[in-house]
Amino acid sequence: MATLVPPATNPPPPPSPDSKPAEPEKVDYMDLPCPIPYEEIHRESFMSLKPELFEGLRFDFTKGLNQRFSLSHSVFMGPTEVPSQSAEVIKIPTAHYEFGANFIDPKMMLFGRILTDGRLNARVKCDLSENLTLKANAQLTNEPHMSHGMANFDYKGSDFRTQLQLGNGALFGASYIQSVTPHLALGGEVFWAGQHRKSGIGYAARYNTDKMVATGQVASTGMVALSYVQKVSEKVSLASDFMYNYMSRDVTASLGYDYILRQCRLRGKIDSNGCTAAFLEERLNMGLNFILSAE
Amino acid sequence: MASRVALKTKSKGAKGGAKPADERSAVKCLKEWSTWTVKKAKVITHYGFIPMVIIIGMSSEPKPSISQLLSPI
Repeated sequence: MATLVPPATNPPPPPSPDSKPAEPEKVDYMDLPCPIPYEEIHRESFMSLKPELFEGLRFDFTKGLNQRFSLSHSVFMGPTEVPSQSAEVIKIPTAHYEFGANFIDPKMMLFGRILTDGRLNARVKCDLSENLTLKANAQLTNEPHMSHGMANFDYKGSDFRTQLQLGNGALFGASYIQSVTPHLALGGEVFWAGQHRKSGIGYAARYNTDKMVATGQVASTGMVALSYVQKVSEKVSLASDFMYNYMSRDVTASLGYDYILRQCRLRGKIDSNGCTAAFLEERLNMGLNFILSAE
Repeated sequence: MASRVALKTKSKGAKGGAKPADERSAVKCLKEWSTWTVKKAKVITHYGFIPMVIIIGMSSEPKPSISQLLSPI
């Protein structure tokens, strides 16, 4: 005789793969994604709004000797700004050749560039262990007291990242960022500069979804920076940025766009200082890139 | 008695003065040594970083040849 056994309390069935994406999923607070590093918190807006604008002619040639090792030769001719005491900006036409060597390994990356006037620009990134990374960069010149060096130790946890920074001139900094929900990450930083006798503390927050990224950053040096990037489609994204310094009452707002097309990438921005910039990168052929930049 | 007291305080004063002088020279020595090290490290990095990257790159697999290093194409 079959007896009716009351069904044991079944766990709810797992969501089927073709369930509507609009269903809110239960958030597992123990399993949050790792946030992006603190210094890259404005990454999306910087990519749109601050491309590497340059003035003059630049020719870069990278020769790969190996899968990991490559040499690069770069020629630059154009005006460079010279710091001057007067309010005007003095530009002097210069030309230089830069030789560089890169070694890229999954565990270690070495990047060195040396210019004709003896300036060396070196970057090292080394994974000391699975979660601990050492990054160092240095700009060394022949002039005394004009060289800078900085080393960062990054520790990546399951849903947080911390970084310790040491620089020459008794510069110390530390930052910490934590994912609070799957979309929101909050972080803070402190720094102390011995030579300039300055110290500061700052906080940042970043909210991102698939379609948009909003970030905000406040620092005790008087800087407030807010940015919003909306990904309108796969190829187009729009960005806006607002920077306010409450010590010097200086405000800058900028709006920009970023079109990523098959062969080219076009970025443009307009500023509240009346400054407009555009940047076009086009892939003409295999290995040949053409860049136009205007400001 | 007054002279003995005076002598005692003098010797104490001398001993007290010698110890901080030792410590100060030790700290000064350490500072000078660390400044010398940083200066030498800067010169070594300035001249040796790119050659070091090239040596590491030339010894990674598959080994490229010297002609590939020097030729411009």
